[in-house]
Amino acid sequence: MNLLELVRLALARLGSSRLRAALTMLGVIIGVASVIALVSIGQGATSGITASLEGLGTNLLTVTPGASRSGLTRGAAGSSTTLTLDDANAIGEIETVGAVAPELTTQSLVVAGSQNTTTTIVGTTDAYLGIRNYSLWQGSFLTDAAVANSLRVAVLGATTADDLGLGADSIGTQISIGGLPFQLVGILQPKGSVGIANQDDLVLVPITAVRHHFVGGDNVRAIDVSVRSADEIPLAEAQLEQTLRARHGLTGAASNDFNIADQAQLLDTVSSITGTLTILLAGIASISLVVGGIGIMNIMLVSVRERTREIGIRKAVGARRGQILLQFLVEAVTLSVLGGIAGILLGVLVSAGIANAAGWALVLQPATLALAVGFSALVGVVFGVWPARQAAVLDPIAALRYE
Amino acid sequence: MTPPIVDLDHVWRVYRTGRVEVPALVDATLRVRPGEFVAIVGPSGSGKTTLMNVVGCLDRPTAGVYAIAGTPVANLGDDDLAALRSRTIGFVFQSFNLLPRTSALENVATPLLYQGVGRRERHTRATAVLERLGLGDRLSHEPSELSGGQQQRVAIARALVTEPALILADEPTGNLDSHSGAEVLALLRALHAAGRTILLITHDPTVAAAAGRQVHIADGRLAA
Repeated sequence: MNLLELVRLALARLGSSRLRAALTMLGVIIGVASVIALVSIGQGATSGITASLEGLGTNLLTVTPGASRSGLTRGAAGSSTTLTLDDANAIGEIETVGAVAPELTTQSLVVAGSQNTTTTIVGTTDAYLGIRNYSLWQGSFLTDAAVANSLRVAVLGATTADDLGLGADSIGTQISIGGLPFQLVGILQPKGSVGIANQDDLVLVPITAVRHHFVGGDNVRAIDVSVRSADEIPLAEAQLEQTLRARHGLTGAASNDFNIADQAQLLDTVSSITGTLTILLAGIASISLVVGGIGIMNIMLVSVRERTREIGIRKAVGARRGQILLQFLVEAVTLSVLGGIAGILLGVLVSAGIANAAGWALVLQPATLALAVGFSALVGVVFGVWPARQAAVLDPIAALRYE
Repeated sequence: MTPPIVDLDHVWRVYRTGRVEVPALVDATLRVRPGEFVAIVGPSGSGKTTLMNVVGCLDRPTAGVYAIAGTPVANLGDDDLAALRSRTIGFVFQSFNLLPRTSALENVATPLLYQGVGRRERHTRATAVLERLGLGDRLSHEPSELSGGQQQRVAIARALVTEPALILADEPTGNLDSHSGAEVLALLRALHAAGRTILLITHDPTVAAAAGRQVHIADGRLAA
């Protein structure tokens, strides 16, 4: 009596009470489907967040000024004005650094024709585009010459351009920033948000123009640094710190008057959080798989009771204990595996629907699917073995007399 | 010389309920030779069913020696008894005991399934036996779609399909009308004529009359 015979017997049996079989399988179906959907959602969310973080910039380090101190009072981070354009130039000399873009930001009213919006004005250099992973949609970006001559030219983020009703045909027109006329030279491709920060709502102008017309002084708000390669980020960070400490005259135990933010670190933190969440969700979902298994055990126990006479007949005509055991076990496993397969289909559908709605890629790992089938088979064995044993050890005389 | 098919030698079967010992089979000695048709006749409560359980290897004697087709059953485990039943005994029950929601063909083929016979051969052999018993047009019918007489013939086909040494029939006409009952008895006689060894258990002397030899049982004791 081989496995195929047993599966055929089990399928014939399940086919004769389809509604019961379907309801029994439902527990496993829901369990497997929720495991698959939740794992897929977790992985999809992770890859979505990772992608948008990577969009911040390539191998990006951001240097910001530290907190200012007046006497014993520590001011807010970024409140000191210790970073200068010369710092930025010095950082550019470090061998592991690929590119540097200083940032000097202010808020200002921007007017184009009858439309206006208040947004962030970022004074920077031509390196900014590459470091922050922006790309141009229309026109050109800030040039070296524009920065050197503090020309009043502006490049708009996609959202800002939208707010102002500016499109491809607006390149070359005049807009007003803080009451001063600027020439619109380019519009950026939209990049999306990181958290609540919309990276597309900004106006980029030469850093020299901001200094002349809006802020004054020599300090900068931030310095974006692109490291040559990902492997060199820790080295670059150390060199950066060394360079800035030397330039700022900080020795011995004096604490840094600047901060260096590492995008890779942020990425690691986010991945570990989402990874933990995924495991948590899958853990909760697998509880429902266990509940489904108990449902199978329950039905198999009822089934053994109902089929006592049938078991007696089978034993009378020569079935050995092992054969009866195997028959009922295969029936339970068939139930759970069929449930598992249906659960996979349902889970994939749900994952695809959610991925579609959330706008991230559908992540389905074959290992997850294989694991789901394997686990549901295991559920069938674990919860099927006891009812099957009950069937196997029935006394044929009593079983035949059972009404 | 070939051994007897059934060889009960001073066999006892005693049931214990609490402290009370109830002897259901008392010092039973019976030999059924190959090709014999023997009827065990007795009223209900006489120990007929106990005798059938012991002879059918569903139960083990408390004392005495029982051998079927030369194989002593003492010291055999449950699985060995199952294998012995599978090889040597074909059961025919009063209440047919066919598998519900299972076609006549699959019912008859079931004993072969547990012998490890392949699907195709199972079906060939089951079909042949059913056709021999005049049920060739009922192969795919389920028990609920068959008359009592037809169900009992399917049960007899199931008993025959393994070519057992012994057909053990327990009140095979008990649930049938007189016409169907007569048909089943005629079938058993025909099988006997074809060389089968049959042990028939009944309370009805007219049914027992179909057999070549009658053994009476009362209060667990056999008397020729």
